[in-house]
Amino acid sequence: MKRAKYLSVSNCGVLIVLALLLAACAGAATTPAAAPTSAASTAVPPTPIPPTSVPPTSPPPTAVPPTEVPAKDQTGSLTVLDWAGYDQPDFWIDFKNTYPKVDVNFEIGASDADIYSKMKAGDQADIFHPYTGWLQFYVDEGLAQEIDTSKLTNWDKVPDYFKKIGQINGKQYFVPWDWGFTSILYRTDKVPGGIDSWAALLDPKYKGHISMWDDGPGAVAVSAYIHGWGDETKVTPDQLAQVKDEWIKQRALNLFYWAGEPELVDGMAKGDVWVAYAWQGAYATLLGKGVPVAYANPKEGRNSWMGVYGIRKGAPNYDLALKFLDEKLGVATGNNVVNEFYYGDSNIDVMNGITDTTLIKAFSIGDPTILQKTNFTPNLTADQRDAWTTMWSEVKAAP
Amino acid sequence: MHDREGSEKETSVRVFDRRATYWALYVLPVLWLSLFFIAPLLLMAAFSLRADMRGELLQSWTPTLKQYAELFATSSFWRLLGVSALMALAIAISATILSYPIAYFLAFRAGRKAGRYLVLLLVPFWTSYLLRVMAWKIILGSDGVLNSLLSYLGVIDQPLTALLYNRNAVVITLIYVWVPFAALPILAALQRIDLSLFEAAADLGAPPVRRFWRITFPLSLPGVLAAFFMVFIPTVGEYVTPLLVGGSEGSMYGNIIQDFFTKAANWPLGSALSMIMLVGTLVLVLIAVRLVRVQRLLE
Repeated sequence: MKRAKYLSVSNCGVLIVLALLLAACAGAATTPAAAPTSAASTAVPPTPIPPTSVPPTSPPPTAVPPTEVPAKDQTGSLTVLDWAGYDQPDFWIDFKNTYPKVDVNFEIGASDADIYSKMKAGDQADIFHPYTGWLQFYVDEGLAQEIDTSKLTNWDKVPDYFKKIGQINGKQYFVPWDWGFTSILYRTDKVPGGIDSWAALLDPKYKGHISMWDDGPGAVAVSAYIHGWGDETKVTPDQLAQVKDEWIKQRALNLFYWAGEPELVDGMAKGDVWVAYAWQGAYATLLGKGVPVAYANPKEGRNSWMGVYGIRKGAPNYDLALKFLDEKLGVATGNNVVNEFYYGDSNIDVMNGITDTTLIKAFSIGDPTILQKTNFTPNLTADQRDAWTTMWSEVKAAP
Repeated sequence: MHDREGSEKETSVRVFDRRATYWALYVLPVLWLSLFFIAPLLLMAAFSLRADMRGELLQSWTPTLKQYAELFATSSFWRLLGVSALMALAIAISATILSYPIAYFLAFRAGRKAGRYLVLLLVPFWTSYLLRVMAWKIILGSDGVLNSLLSYLGVIDQPLTALLYNRNAVVITLIYVWVPFAALPILAALQRIDLSLFEAAADLGAPPVRRFWRITFPLSLPGVLAAFFMVFIPTVGEYVTPLLVGGSEGSMYGNIIQDFFTKAANWPLGSALSMIMLVGTLVLVLIAVRLVRVQRLLE
């Protein structure tokens, strides 16, 4: 009888309701913001390598026609839909310094699919940041505005092969910005023989110590390289079935599919993962930590991806958005991308200015043929996107 | 006459009062649920009948069963739904069994300190769900607590890799997550038991074990069932825990749904998968309710 004093039934009811609410929140609120899914998603920037001694380059000329308001007095506001981490002022420092009175707001997308879904659902961001593979549908669905490159003062700093990546249907819809390699990253102490092929990711020798990126198109690309199918967008339905089968077999060898770079870095540093599909950001981070790793130059060629910026069709601040993209190509901004995230920049001056040996190794700057040996990620059609992502879900669901 | 009129007026005022209370109490929750629960569900049902993501998101479209046809043709999705339901069953049964003694202790043995213990039981919820799951990565990992202990004791010389990144890790972690929750409805049921029943049973010579099985347990069954379903239903669609500790082999049905929304931008197929899970879970619950005749227990 006594206990009723301390814990009445009604009290308990309230507690249960509270607990249920908590549970509901836990379920919803913990959706994997912690497990982002693509290149730019290294939300926690790895410990930066000591600032590289980039030769002091003069800030990009901000050509302001005499009739216009001076840049430092220009006002207005811009909304950028970007990846976590890229909202830090370091990654748009040139714009911030040149246009201090413009109000820049950020919305955060968790993956390419997330950013695309948001734009599709009517997001009012002026500028968005997709990656190669995910560009075609923005144009097909009328979500991207053509870029007037004549207004970009830094445009001539961008090499033609990068410019091409931002062209859809022969028109410049996107401004290329950050880029990187994908290859096989491995622990040299655990794999003393080294790795020279993408097939290592499916090699039973490394059972329980392989980590593949959690991504269907990534898996299709690896299979296409291994089988010498050429451009993965030419993959036939029969070949796609073959891809599915080999990745189902691979699953028994794979420790975990990584979603965000920190997860992979952790697994490799611990020695759980020996062989992984990886961006060079992970390579540079592990090198910086003193972990014995190497980044393969597979005989089939490395893969490379590129992040681009687009302007939403109908964005009211088109001119200001163009200025933002122009400043994105600035050298100070580019240096921060290189030094803090270990990704490449589309401004050739930034890349030529790199002197840090770790970064030179990561970008294979000493190897003049590396870009010829690289397979750039092609743009998918909506049908390919759906077929490849469904294939990957079937791999995960397979018995 | 006059009196009767007066009482009629009084009754109508009372009816009005009751109606007003009814609306005041129900309008807000009903509105909330309609807006944020029913409407999204309907939208999801509608999306599952869409052919693809092309075109305006809220344009009208011709309903098609294309997504369901694709699902019916993909046996691995069905199998995974079955596996997830079995995992949820194992987790719900284990969590309920493990939480019963806790609830029993709080209800009958903790005495004055019951409130304090209850707070202790709920303390884990003050930290994020994500952190609690991550803690299991630290416990089960190759350089984790368990492996360090075993190698310190000389039981193993190589770290056990089978602890993390598989279905077992998902089951263990989810049982841990649910135990404190499951204890709450059982505790509520135990507290409703009239203590004089025990006195009567004792007077009639029933030993403690018999008192438990004849009185305590049957009377706590509504709480036990509530606990079971509270764990079972959300666990079928769980996806965060498998993502963190499940590895490549530990995916659950919820992960596939999540992938279609966040990695594939394929809402129609994701919606169809969700609808199937919703219907499947409902059917399972209905069958279970029939089997155990909850109505009779609740009387």
